[in-house]
Amino acid sequence: MKNKALIFDIRRFSTHDGIGIRTTVFFKGCPLHCVWCQNPEGIAPQTKLVYFANSCILCGCCTQIKDGAVHIENDKLILDSSRVKNTGDYEYICPSGALRMDSKWYEPDELTEILKRDMPFFKHGGGVTFSGGEPFYQAKFTISILKRLKKIKINTAVESSLFTDSKTIKAALPFIDTLFADFKIYNDTQHKNFTGVSNKIIRENIKMVLQSLYRDNVVIRTPLIPMHTANADNLRKIAKEISEWYPGVRYELLNYNPLAKAKYDHMDYDYCFADNPPLYTKQQMEDFYKIIEDAGIVNVIK
Amino acid sequence: MDLKLLKMSDRIETLRNKMLSQKRYMSIEQALITTDIYKKNDNKPVIIKRALALKAALENIEIAVEPEELIVGNRTKGVRFGVVSPESGGSWVDKELETLPTRPQDRFNVRDEDIKIYRETIKPYWHGKSLEDVLAEKFGSEFSAISKVAKINQTDHSQGHICPDCTLWLEKGPDGIKKEAQKMLDKKGMNRKQQDFYQAVVLTMIGAQNFIRRYSVLLKQTAKINGDFNPALEKAANVCSNVAERQPQSFYEAVQSLWFLFVILQMESNASSFSPGRMDRYMYPFYKKDIENNVITNNEALEIIECLWLKFNQIVYMRNEQSAKYFAGFPIGFNIAVGGVDENGKATENELSYLFLRAQEDLGLPQPNLSVRLSKGISENLLEYAVRVVAKGSGMPQFFNDEAVIGTMINDLGIEKQDALDYAIVGCVELTTQGNNLGWSDAAMFNLNKALELAMNHGRCLLTGRQIGPDLGGLDTYTSYEALEHAFAGQIDYFTEKMIKACEKVEQGHIDLLPSPFLSAVIDNCLQKGIDVTAGGAKYNLSGIQMIQAANVADSLAAVWQLIYTEKRINGSDMLKALQNNFVGFEIIKAMAENKVPKYGNDVEWVDNIAVKWAHYFKDKLTHYKNYRGGLYHTGMYTVSAHVPMGENVGASPDGRLAYQPLADGGMSPVYGRDENGPTAVLQSVGRLDNVLTSNGGLLNMKFLPEFFATQEGIKKFAMFLRTFVDLRIPHVQFNVLHREDLLEAKRNPEKYRSLTVRVAGYTAYFTELDGKLQDEIIARTEYGAV
Repeated sequence: MKNKALIFDIRRFSTHDGIGIRTTVFFKGCPLHCVWCQNPEGIAPQTKLVYFANSCILCGCCTQIKDGAVHIENDKLILDSSRVKNTGDYEYICPSGALRMDSKWYEPDELTEILKRDMPFFKHGGGVTFSGGEPFYQAKFTISILKRLKKIKINTAVESSLFTDSKTIKAALPFIDTLFADFKIYNDTQHKNFTGVSNKIIRENIKMVLQSLYRDNVVIRTPLIPMHTANADNLRKIAKEISEWYPGVRYELLNYNPLAKAKYDHMDYDYCFADNPPLYTKQQMEDFYKIIEDAGIVNVIK
Repeated sequence: MDLKLLKMSDRIETLRNKMLSQKRYMSIEQALITTDIYKKNDNKPVIIKRALALKAALENIEIAVEPEELIVGNRTKGVRFGVVSPESGGSWVDKELETLPTRPQDRFNVRDEDIKIYRETIKPYWHGKSLEDVLAEKFGSEFSAISKVAKINQTDHSQGHICPDCTLWLEKGPDGIKKEAQKMLDKKGMNRKQQDFYQAVVLTMIGAQNFIRRYSVLLKQTAKINGDFNPALEKAANVCSNVAERQPQSFYEAVQSLWFLFVILQMESNASSFSPGRMDRYMYPFYKKDIENNVITNNEALEIIECLWLKFNQIVYMRNEQSAKYFAGFPIGFNIAVGGVDENGKATENELSYLFLRAQEDLGLPQPNLSVRLSKGISENLLEYAVRVVAKGSGMPQFFNDEAVIGTMINDLGIEKQDALDYAIVGCVELTTQGNNLGWSDAAMFNLNKALELAMNHGRCLLTGRQIGPDLGGLDTYTSYEALEHAFAGQIDYFTEKMIKACEKVEQGHIDLLPSPFLSAVIDNCLQKGIDVTAGGAKYNLSGIQMIQAANVADSLAAVWQLIYTEKRINGSDMLKALQNNFVGFEIIKAMAENKVPKYGNDVEWVDNIAVKWAHYFKDKLTHYKNYRGGLYHTGMYTVSAHVPMGENVGASPDGRLAYQPLADGGMSPVYGRDENGPTAVLQSVGRLDNVLTSNGGLLNMKFLPEFFATQEGIKKFAMFLRTFVDLRIPHVQFNVLHREDLLEAKRNPEKYRSLTVRVAGYTAYFTELDGKLQDEIIARTEYGAV
């Protein structure tokens, strides 16, 4: 098989995913299934035809395709994804963009060309970030692109759950300028409950990267999800453990992102909150920082 | 200088509140004086009449000062009055007297007695004599025949958009200039015209001195009112009496003297935009001397600057209703440029650069139109401070790019290197040299989209069905994309020819009717040559034509190329029918045009290159002509607010835009909301437009959510963004920081804001795709800018 990757978004001018102005690549497919996932469209590792009703002009063009996946009933378009033979046909024929594929396959050359486009910006600080989904879910491709980017001196960052085998991470580390690794929940039972997987491999990998040559390139992150991750006990335990592994560890708490909920209308699964909690206030954030500082973190990223 | 130690004074707060609480009125006071002088001197040369009229106004117009003012002077007693100049345009005033208070844009109150006086005394004298009437009578039908494509400007007011020689004014003062003109007058061998010119200059300078003296007297009187003695006013009075007689010697005097220059220029011309230019350069010696000698503190300097900043907001320009649509918000264009490079091409800045930015930060008013000139060498300090001021949300400063501007001035306009290095900005974004240029930067606006419409529809207007251009074919007859291009070029040629002829007539009108001796005295080389600035006395004589709008042209032609001639998904006749029916019954074609074709501004080369190609075609066409003063025509890509009325002239277009809808804003900007690949892609696309296309000025508008500026990190990233802007040689950019109201608007009209992205770590979403509640969440955040 050719070296290709399934990608669900490429976002230029990303400003919250590492230093400077960046292009962020969102890889599709993730071994975790966090109940608060802010990019739920990135979890399933296949392309999917998605229907955006508010773009639809009900022109009926798509009903010309004879696989019977679409029909219009009472001024409503009904899509049965399971019957779609060729998603690309629908995307092409739909004039309004209401039927769109949620992701696209890229070959290394094509992706590299896109990532090089903002070189003039990267020159003043900035680069490329791999996010997802899980970039290491398509590890072979990810590593090959990381190598290419380093060859042309583009700064690289990866946002990962580290739920992958340690060989992959070791192979990638030399080509990553900043590795953002999530440590979401300390307690393994809860970790399983809320993310669908055990944190055993994740912890081992975090320990490994924090004790590697590249440890200063690593930022450990905990997303603050109310009632799930954002409690003193969890944060204290994570902070204590990672600072034991490496006292100079850089640790970042990501404020809750209430916007994540927006995407669940197009999803088959539910978001963890029916009532969306608000962002944590400055004061609440300060309280969280205090907890992790007391637990031994010296380098808090604020 | 520590910016943290600076503080806006209570005086400034008081003055600002007073100014903003005053109502705007139309004023006919100067019009009456001018009419009276013209009547009494009917047989004198026009230039003498103009000089006498200005002198009489300077000596007689009612003046006022506020007890808190440190810097005084205005052209009317009230602030922000709309001044009527019947010698340039009076007929439109007559038609609009009743609607001025209620018109949609830029309203002015009108007193009943003024209407009466205007109609009985002023209007009858000027009927058929004003620039407006003369042009309308002789060439009205020619102008209106092309008006849907080429809008001819400068037909009812005197010349503005000029940077006077402020250095000369500060070195010599009115008295010095008067003496110089007198010396020339006494020389032998001057022809009659030159004698009249110098005589006129002398008259206006005498008027200027008297005007300034009147303020000194009034200030002295006011200083002693009610038994209280106001030492600040006494000081201001002395400042005025000093600068009336000699050149300024302190920073305070220099600022006051400079302001009088601009008031008087406005009294003579009543035109849009006289610009101080690089004030941080030529005012610096005064500032430095005073600081070194402990004459003033930085806070005192700031207060004087802020007094001047308020003054810039006290003169507004009253345009006719139509023109107010094109240039909404009575922009008066006191443009100040800070930073930039010095005479050796090295980045330069000083304390005044920061103080000027600080004044903008404190006041957040529409004037001055504050610009920062960026170059590769600009300090991180100045750059970041400028970004911080942008973050306050007034849309200022705007940014110009030395790497884009200077080279094209030298190479394409033949401007001497020293002048190009010292360029400044007039009006909104028009580029000029300082003190030696009649740039005529707003000669006309050429609607490329209307020309394209005529090329698609047999020369017939889609809106009225009238034949306004030659029939060179239509989308139903062209068998190739090239055939359409050929016809498009033909329509451009046809209207360009006619537009140039019209521009020449306007220039002749200015020479005949509106010579401007006071202005000429502060424009090199008028005084040396004895030639008025309207007649070609300036060192540089350019004419600028704006092309409207390359973004829509690119999007339309891209749709035609791809859908009709490449993919063949639509045939030409159907597209033409769709356009003729404003897409009613052709919704599929509209949807395809909107969604299936890449758009300008997304870093898609082939689409961007369509914009480049046609902008070049038009620009190159203009190089065949010279203007009436012997200078070059060149082009700009900016519209102020003209994309709205210009769009009202254009029928449905193949990019899916409906008839009458606005065109892209800005000039170089993509169409609203179509820049889905984000700001870096926009810069890359806009960077494809060669600088020669925008030697008269380009305008790029970008919108950002306030969250972006909330942290030091964000400010730094923004500075990086601007450094790349410099590298990409884009001439201009200005940033609108979106406010709450904008986001509410985005909620209502998502199609216009499709590109608005919410930026959160590892998260990807567009604002308009969020559901209503979540949009509210973002809107709530913008109120305190904390994300």
